[in-house]
Amino acid sequence: MKGKMTKLWAYVSIALVVASILFLFVYVFIRGAGTITWEFLSQPPKGAILGMEGGVWPAIVGSLCFTAVAIVLGGIPAIAAALYIVFYCENRRIEKAFHTVIRCISGIPSIVLGLFAYSFLVRELQWGRCILSSGVALGIMILPFVEVRAEKAFQELPKAIVLSSYALGCSKRYTIMKIVLPACKGELISGLMLGGCYAMGATPPLIFTGGVAYASIPTSLMKPAMALPLHLYLLLAQGATSFDMAYGTAFVMMTIILISNLLATIYAARSHAKWKA
Amino acid sequence: MQKRLEKLFRLFIGLLALLAVVSLAFVIFFIVKEALPLFREVRVGEFLLGKRWMPIAYVGEPSFGIFNFIMATLYVSLLAMIIASAVGIGAALFLSCVASRKARELLYPFIDLLAGIPSVIYGFIGLVVLVKLFMKMGVHTGSCVLAAAILLSVMLLPYIISSCSETILKAKERYLPASNAMGIDKWHAIASVILPASWGNILLSMILAIGRAMGETMAVMMVIGNANLFPTLLGKSETIAAVIALEMGTAEAGSLHYHGLYAAGLVLMVLLFIINAVIAALRSRLIKEA
Repeated sequence: MKGKMTKLWAYVSIALVVASILFLFVYVFIRGAGTITWEFLSQPPKGAILGMEGGVWPAIVGSLCFTAVAIVLGGIPAIAAALYIVFYCENRRIEKAFHTVIRCISGIPSIVLGLFAYSFLVRELQWGRCILSSGVALGIMILPFVEVRAEKAFQELPKAIVLSSYALGCSKRYTIMKIVLPACKGELISGLMLGGCYAMGATPPLIFTGGVAYASIPTSLMKPAMALPLHLYLLLAQGATSFDMAYGTAFVMMTIILISNLLATIYAARSHAKWKA
Repeated sequence: MQKRLEKLFRLFIGLLALLAVVSLAFVIFFIVKEALPLFREVRVGEFLLGKRWMPIAYVGEPSFGIFNFIMATLYVSLLAMIIASAVGIGAALFLSCVASRKARELLYPFIDLLAGIPSVIYGFIGLVVLVKLFMKMGVHTGSCVLAAAILLSVMLLPYIISSCSETILKAKERYLPASNAMGIDKWHAIASVILPASWGNILLSMILAIGRAMGETMAVMMVIGNANLFPTLLGKSETIAAVIALEMGTAEAGSLHYHGLYAAGLVLMVLLFIINAVIAALRSRLIKEA
């Protein structure tokens, strides 16, 4: 009896999970596909109520800018932290402290990161609302995400490879640059790409730090820009007038994120460590 | 020359790594700094337990009480975690005990797609599907705590499923051969041996899920109705994150309202740190037991 119930539970659950995933994707793609035209992709938003007509081109470019800044600002320290923990840190206490810090950062809600960026970057440093301010918040947000993946990749690298390099008299720097990083390239790049997807979908850190309802294509990091998730939110906040455009925006965002996700997975699988085979 | 280069490289990596620590320190410092002015005017107890949130006084005194927001945050997260666990643990059982290795390798990335969907899109779909559904079922305007919890639970699924199925898989590999040898029915063994053996880690991932849910802003904010009420299943409410996101745009910088929002952010951050600490303590106990 107990066994049968559990079996039922397992089957019903997986059916529910698969059904909801299919529903989410099919729904957005079917409803959104109708809105997608070349004009929608290449024009800025227009209309009496902004976004009723026109397209999302500045939001696409803006989102890519935010994401790129986040990857650079969050990804590099994340990989460095992972390198430090795995290859340089010899004190267990410091290692543990580092892990606690990383976990705490991943626990900070993204809206609080937005508050931080507003208070420190926008006001205190007088950067104003700009791509860089939001980029820092997004960078901090993806830092733990990338660090965990990078550290896992470094840990899984067989010790023998690293130790033989040391035994041949290679320095740590040489070993890291010529052996460790190339060997883990696949995981690192896919980690950065997934982190980028995460940053691209995040709205809360942008709302008051650099994302705006309307801006032309950004020409500098010190200017505010549009972003796809924020644009979608604002379209919905306006009420039912722009629902078609909202479906289109969701479609574009899902497509970009899905494709980058797929590319990252394929890339990681293709460069999947030869030693694991 | 070589030696110096080596040292320089080490310093470079170390400094970059230190950036992570510095950024955490900066975030905490600035949130606390901006929150403090509020506590000069409003007592901590009043702020945490007060139910009136009237940051700008059109009539009478302004008042800052976030009790309802705190309760809403906890209520929604807990409810979402319960729904997500009910479905997620079941799905994890299927993945680890029924699915073949091939099917598992296909289903994992498929389920992970859920984690890749941005939360605004969840909010959007919640708005056009769930809220409409609730409206048809007679809930006034359709926005309610339950809708937010259901939406959140879908967002939590990938995390719960991946960590639970990993745990259950390990337990299965450990105990199933023995129970098979004794001729016990497979599902009976799963229900009475394998699942109980995995409880510790499952609990851990459930707490982790609450933490994730509490910080979520967009999806919840779009379907919960945003009214300062004590949360009930089919009533409207408003979470801490939603208050901040909604009111930050209109709060005058440096005003008491502005500091109040930072104080709310501080409370949210502290709540999450507490959850983190609980997880760390639980984890070390679990490791000791194993």
